[in-house]
Amino acid sequence: MSARLLSLQAVDKRYASVTALSGIELELGAGQGLAILGPNGAGKSTLLRIMAGLAHPTGGKVQFAEGAPQRSRVGYLGHATLLYPELTARENLVFAGRLYGVEDPGARADQLLADEGLSGVANRRARGFSRGMAQRLSIARARVHAPELLLLDEPFTGLDEPSAQRLSLRLEGLAHEGHALVLATHEIDRAARLAQTALVLVEGMVKRRVNAEEMSEPFLRTAYAEALEASP
Amino acid sequence: MNSNPEGHGNAQASIPSRLESRASRWRRPMGYLLAALGAAYAWSVMSAPIDSTQGIIQKILYIHPPLAYGAYLGFVITGVGGVLFLARQREDLDRLAVASAEVGVIFCTLMLVTGPIWARGTWGVWWSWDARLTVTLLLWFVYLAYLLLRSFSGSSPRTARFAAIYGVVGLVLIPLNYYVIEIFGSRSMHPENLERGSLGDGMGLPFLLGNLTLALAFFYLLILRWEVEAQRRLDDASTSSGA
Amino acid sequence: MNVALAILWKDLVSEWRSRDRVMAMLVFSILVAVVFYFALPMLRPEELSALAPGLLWTAYLFSALLGLNRSFALELENDALAGLALAPGNRGWIFLGKAAANWVLISIVQILTAGVFALFYGIDLVPALPGLATVVGLGTVGICAAGTLLAPMAVRTGFREVLLPVLLLPALFPILAGAVEGSGAAVAGRPIPFAALQLLLVTDGIYLIVAFLGFDYVLDE
Repeated sequence: MSARLLSLQAVDKRYASVTALSGIELELGAGQGLAILGPNGAGKSTLLRIMAGLAHPTGGKVQFAEGAPQRSRVGYLGHATLLYPELTARENLVFAGRLYGVEDPGARADQLLADEGLSGVANRRARGFSRGMAQRLSIARARVHAPELLLLDEPFTGLDEPSAQRLSLRLEGLAHEGHALVLATHEIDRAARLAQTALVLVEGMVKRRVNAEEMSEPFLRTAYAEALEASP
Repeated sequence: MNSNPEGHGNAQASIPSRLESRASRWRRPMGYLLAALGAAYAWSVMSAPIDSTQGIIQKILYIHPPLAYGAYLGFVITGVGGVLFLARQREDLDRLAVASAEVGVIFCTLMLVTGPIWARGTWGVWWSWDARLTVTLLLWFVYLAYLLLRSFSGSSPRTARFAAIYGVVGLVLIPLNYYVIEIFGSRSMHPENLERGSLGDGMGLPFLLGNLTLALAFFYLLILRWEVEAQRRLDDASTSSGA
Repeated sequence: MNVALAILWKDLVSEWRSRDRVMAMLVFSILVAVVFYFALPMLRPEELSALAPGLLWTAYLFSALLGLNRSFALELENDALAGLALAPGNRGWIFLGKAAANWVLISIVQILTAGVFALFYGIDLVPALPGLATVVGLGTVGICAAGTLLAPMAVRTGFREVLLPVLLLPALFPILAGAVEGSGAAVAGRPIPFAALQLLLVTDGIYLIVAFLGFDYVLDE
């Protein structure tokens, strides 16, 4: 087992007595992949946003291993691209680099563009980008500060099949390079490919955990179905 | 490792909170006292002498200034409650802030209604753009906007945070607006030192009773509205979790 | 600080490429100037020029509302605002960058609008220029500070752009009082009353502090 990167202890998120998340416990090792499965409204996005430091839990603890503060250690990729349409691809990355206080944002931007195969369109404005290209640029943006952990919130939504396939391969590549991943999705096959462990979230609570030994697509599929059935 | 180091994690989530239950216990006795005091107040106002120059309209002065105190108190509680909500994440204080804004707006509205009636009788105009009147009108708009902000964005933690920030803006506006009057408000028509013993014979008692009664009414309504807000959040919760 | 500069640069480059925000604000301001002429037909031009400072500030205020709303409507596209909120460090700097960009863009529109008013109502602005620029610049700092705090709140409610005027206008009374007083003096060729400048500076300072500290909560989910 690799060194622990992130742990959540008894994390709650509620307002009035509406409970978005309740008693979430999870651990993630450096370089590990975790899938968070669940139907719409289960609290997956809320959980990711708490890990990203965008939202604060009302109870419990979010703990990162010793090191830099939370927001500078996570990269976030959702179905929204976070890009500015009037800026070019390169400018978008340079801007993001400056937000994160990256040493030489220009060089970092060029390197990321090359990584994602976007060097040819570096000086084109993001406005004209196809959904798939924008998603690749968005990955580059999420990696601009070399985060240890990538948070992926339904990243496949709105992509056509070839783009989704390419994104999936790219994410596998990033996992190989040592990034820890947390993937929120309801697509079982992609989750099984990217993650070593999984948990099923229903109505803000963890209903089922799947550990590394059990992980396979058929097993995950059954576990997910059982967890959904068990909750009214 | 304790997951709730401050220990308020669960206390805040419960509705009503400890603070709210404690406040609620005071409401009923306050209600009885208010009824008694209100009767005495009404009697004292009726039996007070009729002002020789202003006539019967002068009796508005027994209610107008106390209304002003209530309005400002309401706005200050809204601002402070908001700050404490942000700092401590205590939702009961957010509920207090809403309740206080609403009661404050009611007091402020009554003040803005009684003022012109008196002004018509005494100054001869309904509306004078008097400096203090203008500033109060603007504050009334601030808290009306506060309530609109809340009702437009539904009940969510974000709404509560936005409202708290706006409450702080309202709070800093109170002294700023008075600062404006200080600098430019040479045209104030408000009597300057009504509070300091310029009242005629027999006017002191109704004025004092007015202050006490309306202060009590303010806190009574505040607690009542606070309870309603807690109940409303509970209802919201049960409908949304039942869906 | 670096973050604030990055955001300032980003907003100005974006605006330079599309120019839609400045154009919309400018056209709106000119229309306001024309509307005043039609709305006040009983006044002779020289009487109108006495009213000019008040009319000018009315135009400034409403065009600023337009620009502030747009500034954050743009951030909502692609959820870019969340992208800003993700960045580490004190979010006050994000506020400062946005506010500075708004100040620059609104100031550009204000300069052009003042020219149009001078032309329409026959005011000789040249002698008044230093005083007027000081007052307008300071007043706009306050408008941008409060507006940059409140606009991201307004655009994320169900009512979007409608809410900002309701929230912002009552909060700008101290700014408006100081600015109209100061501009009136500048246009009339009198020295600007110290009290007006003091009021503007104090209000600017307070709003900048409140917004710098409060922006963290505005950007939270």
